[in-house]
Amino acid sequence: MSIIVTKDVKKWFGDFQALDGISMEIKEKEVIVICGPSGSGKSTFIRCINRLEQHQEGEIIVDGIELTNDLKNIDAIRSEVGMVFQSFNLFPHLTVMQNITLAPIWVRKKTRTEAEAKAMELLERVGIPEQAEKFPGQLSGGQQQRVAIARALAMEPKIMLFDEPTSALDPEMIKEVLDVMKELAQSGMTMIVVTHEMGFAKEVCDRVIFFDEGKLVEENNPEDFFNNPKSDRTKLFLSQIL
Amino acid sequence: MNFIENTKVRWLRDNLFSSIGSATITLITVYMLISMYRGTVGFILSPMRKWTAVTYNMQLYMIFNYAEDESWRAWASVGVALLLAGITLGYWNTGEKTSFNSISTGIFKLSTALTLMVVLAPTETEVMNNDGSRSMVEVISSNQRMNLLIPMAVLTLLSFLLTRYDIQKSFNKTKMIIFYLGFLVASGWLIKVPTVVFDDAGNRVKPDLFLPVATTTTIPWTILYAVLWAAFFIGLFLQKKELKTLKRIIPISWVILPLYLFSWLYKKPIIEFNKVLMNDIPGVLIFWTIGFLIIRYITNEKFMSYKNYLTGVFLLATALILFLRIPFLFKVLTFSVVLLLLVAPAIANTTEGKKSLLIIWVVAVAVLAFLLRGSGSPTGIMTPTGSFLGGFSLTWVLAIFGTYVSFPFGVILALGRTSNLPLVRIICTGIIEIVRSVPYITWLFFASVMLTVFMPEGVEFNLIVRVLIVTAFFSGAYFAENIRGGLQSIPKGQYEAANAIGMNPFQRISLIVLPQALRAVIPTLVSSIITAFKDSSLVAIIGLFDTLRIGSAVIPTQSSPVNFVGTQLDNLLFIALFYWVFCFIFSRRTMKIEKKLGLGER
Repeated sequence: MSIIVTKDVKKWFGDFQALDGISMEIKEKEVIVICGPSGSGKSTFIRCINRLEQHQEGEIIVDGIELTNDLKNIDAIRSEVGMVFQSFNLFPHLTVMQNITLAPIWVRKKTRTEAEAKAMELLERVGIPEQAEKFPGQLSGGQQQRVAIARALAMEPKIMLFDEPTSALDPEMIKEVLDVMKELAQSGMTMIVVTHEMGFAKEVCDRVIFFDEGKLVEENNPEDFFNNPKSDRTKLFLSQIL
Repeated sequence: MNFIENTKVRWLRDNLFSSIGSATITLITVYMLISMYRGTVGFILSPMRKWTAVTYNMQLYMIFNYAEDESWRAWASVGVALLLAGITLGYWNTGEKTSFNSISTGIFKLSTALTLMVVLAPTETEVMNNDGSRSMVEVISSNQRMNLLIPMAVLTLLSFLLTRYDIQKSFNKTKMIIFYLGFLVASGWLIKVPTVVFDDAGNRVKPDLFLPVATTTTIPWTILYAVLWAAFFIGLFLQKKELKTLKRIIPISWVILPLYLFSWLYKKPIIEFNKVLMNDIPGVLIFWTIGFLIIRYITNEKFMSYKNYLTGVFLLATALILFLRIPFLFKVLTFSVVLLLLVAPAIANTTEGKKSLLIIWVVAVAVLAFLLRGSGSPTGIMTPTGSFLGGFSLTWVLAIFGTYVSFPFGVILALGRTSNLPLVRIICTGIIEIVRSVPYITWLFFASVMLTVFMPEGVEFNLIVRVLIVTAFFSGAYFAENIRGGLQSIPKGQYEAANAIGMNPFQRISLIVLPQALRAVIPTLVSSIITAFKDSSLVAIIGLFDTLRIGSAVIPTQSSPVNFVGTQLDNLLFIALFYWVFCFIFSRRTMKIEKKLGLGER
């Protein structure tokens, strides 16, 4: 059963066409890596999935709910879909604990004790329970990104979107974030990851999708994608980054 | 010890005497500072200055022509404020300590400075005679100077010796601050102030005598000081009890306190009991019931589907009855229902939440009814000028309520101006641009002359209320522009993150955007509040007697037996000092808050 279905999704920023007819289906518990050169529309695509960007043509159906202008649908989808950003986007005026418990308390209407217990559990899962009372500014980049993952998980989403989660990190810290993501993938979470970490793609994901100029160029299993890609554009891209 | 002295000497050499040029500049600056100091002291102590004009009119400055036999109300108002202040200090006492050493070092520095000041004070000063010639007059005799110098020198020596001994003792910082305030109170008993005195024939005794401060001033202050101590210990006791609800109650009390003081304690309203029976009690009961029903059924799914319509209906009702001739209480409470409907789904989702929200609603409605009854009733204080407010009391009302009403209004305008809804944006931008482009004085004239014309028939407000309405718009527009700057400094990612975790726009603004935006603009907000505080003196133009107006009005005082002609300067200097002291304390306090919030560190 497909949890995300997109049909011929198109989006323009002014005259510039960012997405040009993207159609794909993502099954439950699948881990998808989206890669491609910058400006190819991969971030725009996953931001369309939880309506941070609005698509202009085509259909996006998440967990059976179609994304339209109806605010109720948008809210329903957003609480199903967790998102991790390139620049973490933690709330700097709140502690790590408050960052994580904010949405469960206000959006999911949990009690504070319940939310805090869950948050502590998640912090242990991402490996930084001792940082609960610190402010985001006091943490390293890798720790901040792990808090961001915990914050998204606190809403108990069915799908996790990762928008270049390791691009803003030092090489040393990339591993700690990737480890958390691997563990998450193994636990059966549906994940769409926009990344340049080809190691992660090879090791963890079920499918690799290659974007260029707003088009879906290639969709392949990781082995074939890296060893014998179908299109010339993919070959060129891989030769440049590997 | 040797090391410290060496670093001090080195600091002097490096910063002040590093070259011949800098040494010259240092010496010239020191000379200039000393001459300025001598000039100032000469000016203050000159026989030309008549500080009696200030001390004699102190009561006017404080409470204007407030009825003398009711003046306990003014003291009680200060007392209630001090009571709350003491409890707050005690309850939030961090237990921060000051070491004995730092206290003795402080005393040493202070007494050294005072000794130096006495030594450097001028012996005589230049005055202008009646015929325009100038002559020198003695201001401090060598006897007086010695009388001051000896205790100073002893104190300096003692404190210096104390700094040499390493006494391992420390005191609670807050307790020390309250203790220091005791010196101010004690000085009321000890010092003598120039007083206007009349002999048996009714002629003024000249030169004015130095007499002790009147007991009608010193006794209340002493009692208030005791109240502060008592409240502080009560606060400490409550802190030990760990009552969590107080954490919410104390800040709310600070919001209600001035409202209570100026609508009940200070005002002495004449309550019409038939109005209480006809308006207040039914109103409170009706809205208690409405609130109870909302809180009871807010979790009901069927109710929730109609919630938005209900909110709209109450919002519309608020707008419609705004200009109807029904009690103000009903208008306020109708709007409160809108607020209740907005927050209830978030809070009243558990039995516990329902219970606490119900308590909040019951108390809030009752308190609102109580305060509005007080502020809506005529005052029982009979004064010749028609208003029971004047002097400091008026300045405080304008400053506190000006900020109270204009700050939320500014937040709303700023949010409206950055809104996506075109109509809201145009209206808010229009209000800001129109209000800002007209001088404040023009708005004050508008308040005093025009505002009544614009009101529907039968709606009439006191002049002070009209001034507050105008101030809400005027400072509100400035606040709005400051806050808009803060809103723009919030990165787009914060909005996206809030959206991505499923927050609705209301939660996004109140939990994520506003806290960060307001924190970013604290410095500009502080200067806006200070500006509003000082601008309140402009109300003198439309006939209200604020501190500044009194300062210039005491000069002729034909009715009084004392003639203070030619004393405008003294009064104005005193008023300047008054404004400076409060603005300075305010800016210092907010600097501490800024530090606490870690502005610029994170």
